Amino acid sequence: MTETQVGVLSCSGEEFLGGTLVRLATRKVMEELRPGKVVTLCLPLYIAGGEEEREFAKNYPVIAVDGCDKCCAKVATLKYSGEVHDTIVLTELLDRNVILSKIVSARELRPEHYAMADIVASEICKKVDEILAEQ
Amino acid sequence: MSKVKVIACSGIGKVYGLMTREAVLEVTNHLAPEVSETVCLAHIVTGDAAARAKVEGCDCITVDGCPALCSAKSVESAGGIIKARFRSIDEMRTHRGGDAGTATALSEDGWKIVDEFAEKIAAKVMESVSQ
Ligand code: SF4
Ligand code: SF4
Repeated sequence: MTETQVGVLSCSGEEFLGGTLVRLATRKVMEELRPGKVVTLCLPLYIAGGEEEREFAKNYPVIAVDGCDKCCAKVATLKYSGEVHDTIVLTELLDRNVILSKIVSARELRPEHYAMADIVASEICKKVDEILAEQ
Repeated sequence: MSKVKVIACSGIGKVYGLMTREAVLEVTNHLAPEVSETVCLAHIVTGDAAARAKVEGCDCITVDGCPALCSAKSVESAGGIIKARFRSIDEMRTHRGGDAGTATALSEDGWKIVDEFAEKIAAKVMESVSQ
């Protein structure tokens, strides 16, 4: 039997710090915190892609992780696959003004930003574990 | 005149996506901030008319990681006028044997490649503005 994996789709937005943090957190969960349990996909490929990409949310329970309340990853998943298992929106989780700041490049990130990415990563892990426990 | 929109794919699976993101931010934050800006690619394709209006009828330069050309395709379908298409995978071809890092973090070499890449994109921005 194939072990269940959870799909994590991050918006990776380019305008706000939130986009950078969701991207960093998603990578950390994949590589370090829950290796092998989480799969991801380039969101633009999912949006612009064909049938195979659109199947993503049908093949895996998906957590949409968005940098701000425009919720692009969630909207895309609902639009193309019809179902989102869970969502994380950074402006609801952390200080809105900080999340919507223009610090986006990895060059500008300071320890406090990595600490915020860690908070997001543990939130993703919590939701991944909940989904895996349900399966 | 509205600024040239420089739009990265920010693909999350490989280093090429991170290169697009960092190269674009270098252009819009440091090399050509007066004449260029970036927008969230995901928002212009999932958002409402106001989101699409960010690129509709505007001069755009797209920066993609691989031949899937997600940014170019999405910007085009949102009505952006594409002045140039770049692909970070092509930059790696001119740095054969180079190790740019991972999708999580660029290596020292990766940052150098990104800086050179950003210079090329900025030159296109300037060309586009002067037309
Ligand atoms: S959710 Fe917000 S930060 Fe993320 S891509 Fe959309 S507009 Fe940008
Ligand atoms: S162009 Fe390639 S790297 Fe970029 S989002 Fe699409 S599939 Fe991912």
